[in-house]
Amino acid sequence: MLKIIVCFKWVIDEADIKVSGKSRELDLSRVAYKISDYDRNAIEEAVRLQEQLGGSVVAVTVGPPTAKQSLKDALSRGPEKAVFVSDPAFDSLEPAQTAAILAEVITKNLEYDLIICGEGSSDLYAQQVGPRLAEKLGIPCATYVEKIIIKDKELIAERKMRDGIEVVSMPLPALVTVMPTINTPRIPSLKQVLGAAKKPVVNLSAKDLEGKYEPCLKTTSLLAATMERKRIKFTDDPQDIRKVVDALLKEGVIS
Amino acid sequence: MDFRLTEEQEIIRQSVREFAAKYIDPIANECDENKHFPMEVFKKIAEQEWMGIPYPQEYGGAGSDYLTYVIVIEELSRADAGIGFTVECHTSLAAFPIFKYGTEEQKQKYLVPLCKGEKFGSFCLTEPGAGTDAGSAQTTAVLDGNEWVLNGSKMFISNSPIAEIFIVFAMTDKSKGTKGMSAFIVPREAPGLRVGEHLNKMGIRSSLTAEVIFKDCRIPKENLLGQEGQGFKIAMHTLDGGRIGIAAQALGIAQAALDESIKYSKERVQFGKPIASFQAIQWMIADMATDIQAARFLTYHAAWCYDQGLPYNKEAAMAKLFAAECAARHTNRAVQIHGGYGYIKGHKVERLYRDAKITEIYEGTSEVQRMVIANNLLR
Repeated sequence: MLKIIVCFKWVIDEADIKVSGKSRELDLSRVAYKISDYDRNAIEEAVRLQEQLGGSVVAVTVGPPTAKQSLKDALSRGPEKAVFVSDPAFDSLEPAQTAAILAEVITKNLEYDLIICGEGSSDLYAQQVGPRLAEKLGIPCATYVEKIIIKDKELIAERKMRDGIEVVSMPLPALVTVMPTINTPRIPSLKQVLGAAKKPVVNLSAKDLEGKYEPCLKTTSLLAATMERKRIKFTDDPQDIRKVVDALLKEGVIS
Repeated sequence: MDFRLTEEQEIIRQSVREFAAKYIDPIANECDENKHFPMEVFKKIAEQEWMGIPYPQEYGGAGSDYLTYVIVIEELSRADAGIGFTVECHTSLAAFPIFKYGTEEQKQKYLVPLCKGEKFGSFCLTEPGAGTDAGSAQTTAVLDGNEWVLNGSKMFISNSPIAEIFIVFAMTDKSKGTKGMSAFIVPREAPGLRVGEHLNKMGIRSSLTAEVIFKDCRIPKENLLGQEGQGFKIAMHTLDGGRIGIAAQALGIAQAALDESIKYSKERVQFGKPIASFQAIQWMIADMATDIQAARFLTYHAAWCYDQGLPYNKEAAMAKLFAAECAARHTNRAVQIHGGYGYIKGHKVERLYRDAKITEIYEGTSEVQRMVIANNLLR
């Protein structure tokens, strides 16, 4: 029976972010939150493996107390239990701290054969937590995973590389970080949503942790990116073809 | 007072949005153009357990509440008002009277397959000569031994081409007026039941509507729903809940019109600026958003009254009246904002404009809603 842990992050839904005119400041006053996109693929993959092979799925998240809202959402997608590690200070954790907290919580509280994380979060996309967590736990890790096959105590993963697919195998327990192409997350049914409230949640706070995790990231400014156009116009006159080529050469687009 | 939805309701709203983006948006125009009923989408809607949302799990429902149901209808209608309406008619008009007035045996036999989405339901009240004046129905039901024999025809019957369970209202004693009307559960296979041609409607074209004809249609005696003579009351009580559903449908249509208008007015450039920078457009958008918010609060409040077991007849009428007129008014404005493009088939606002109109007509016209509201205030 496979014991799976899936880690997820509760992030701002980028669709709700508004940019205020000239100042380029981001207005976050009316944003909604969601489970980070690739983490939904991680949850789905965990639940699919459980459906195929039996076993259990526990969802774990670290965040500020407001991330409590994420638990029913995550549980409605299939895991039978959630672990919520929260503290007001966990609002601005650095990926190494998140990984350390997860490692501590998992080591003390949970048994596992497989840990699944999203490749990166929708907000920071640092791609750090998965590999760091594997390192802390001393287990093998495969990133960019698009397919998982479990055979006895071995995991075979297909990794999407720039120039092809790499197939790797590793002994369990292991950790994988998954790409969005691995599956299409299901939409929870109404009874699954209503049933989520009845599933157990283990609440842990900073006091339950041995390590000290003081906020060490400070956001000094957050501005929308702008894309300045060159505003160079060309006509359909054949003479202008030379001008286009010259302009592209000058910009270093072609050589 | 708490204006927040529950976490579950928020998750369900997101779920329906995701569902609509994946399965409805890509086919909505094609369904409208060809008056195509997307059966495959309804199979998925049934899998999501959205065909019997407010009814108990023991009867195959999801065991949720009316407010959650209203949110689902709103979001489905935001993508395709015909699909939202099909679920609404099925849930509010066909399943409700069985849930409220049916015997335990009737509930097991008919409500369970409706709530599970295994069978579609239909509500047969309107007749060619009896619309708003539903009490003047001519369809009759006569008891013959152990069977009721129905004769007459019912007009504009939503879902009837695919329905397998029909709630039918017929006169059992014409001399008693509305007190001589009774309700019946008629299975599709009943001999003498015939469904006419799928009507070519102006809007909500992904939903199916036809005439239903009863010619010496025989059903077992036990298919009487509620008491003999209780039919008119059952119909009116059913329509009270249905009106909250139609308010939600109108709300979804209006919200879609606003969404499209905001998007388009930011992209469309005239006189060197996006048209959203002009006050004429800004005021239209502001009015739309304000009316939609008001319609939403009226609708959610009516659903809340239903869930709390409070009277909701006036609240449902107010919500339906306001939301329907809001949808009609603002889909018109949405077309105006889109200009010539909004008048062309394939543009969503063109479809919304046609879809909105029916919400002022069915399950009680706006005039009937005003009568209901006034009757509540002046009696």
